[in-house]
Amino acid sequence: MEATSPFNILIVDDSTMMRAMIKRAVKLSGVEVGTIHEAGNGQEALEILEQHRIGALFTDINMPVMTGTELLRQVAARGWTHIISVIVSTDGSSARREEVRDLDVRLYVEKPFAPEAIRDVLAEVCH
Amino acid sequence: MLELCTAPPSAQPRRRIVVGIGEYAVSNDRASVIVTHALGSCIAVCVWDPAAKVAGLIHVLLPDSRINPSRAGEQPAAFADTGLPLLFRTAYEYGVDKKRCQVRLVGGADITRASGAGAGGAGDAGSVGKRNLLAVRSLLWRNGVLVQKEAVGGCEPRTVSMDVCDGSLQISSGGETVCRF
Repeated sequence: MEATSPFNILIVDDSTMMRAMIKRAVKLSGVEVGTIHEAGNGQEALEILEQHRIGALFTDINMPVMTGTELLRQVAARGWTHIISVIVSTDGSSARREEVRDLDVRLYVEKPFAPEAIRDVLAEVCH
Repeated sequence: MLELCTAPPSAQPRRRIVVGIGEYAVSNDRASVIVTHALGSCIAVCVWDPAAKVAGLIHVLLPDSRINPSRAGEQPAAFADTGLPLLFRTAYEYGVDKKRCQVRLVGGADITRASGAGAGGAGDAGSVGKRNLLAVRSLLWRNGVLVQKEAVGGCEPRTVSMDVCDGSLQISSGGETVCRF
């Protein structure tokens, strides 16, 4: 049943350290989540999204192979409207935000961020 | 400073436990309020366990005990790296559970901006406030603790009162209450 499905998360960032930090913040947040998946770029993320039901996607923008922006375009093209997209990026420029404006991005977290920012985002997207 | 309070809640007047600079207190006396004054660049780390009804507060003066090891030996609560473990260990002895523990931060102001003093010197209190905040946040993160709320930065000194009964904080500056949470 959908009501009891775990809220799975996918963290997409080419930095393993950054993925680990976001993952730890998610675990410490106290928000109940299901499996936390990880991908190093947009292409890897798409492969995970094809195989697993993901509730929220935390993605960086600047990554090799496939950028976060392209990943979000692919998510939109596939009609995965159930996925809540959150950008976690050093690039918080208005030009970058404008670029993803029509890609149904729920929230934008600028790096560097306090771990509590991830908790606050989770609290918002899980309710 | 360590308060050993076992009295049950009553209608008696609120008792004030005053925490000085570089001191800390932990209490389960629900008739008490823990207060610390003169938080400029210093940081008050406030812990509260709603189930155990235990409150703790430390007034951290500096980030790192290596700055003054002899003082750290005499007054470990003055430094973030020696004081925070002391606060948490004492809180655990009172029954605080890390998973339930709510942590709030107050202070870390840049008081040189308020006084008009220049920044960037060796005694730059603004950078002390930032370094204190960074040290506290880093220690909490490394120990798996997230901050629930904070009133930090700015350029005004603060006084904080923590109600042991419900964990609420009242923060005042210049004699006026500026926020409660």
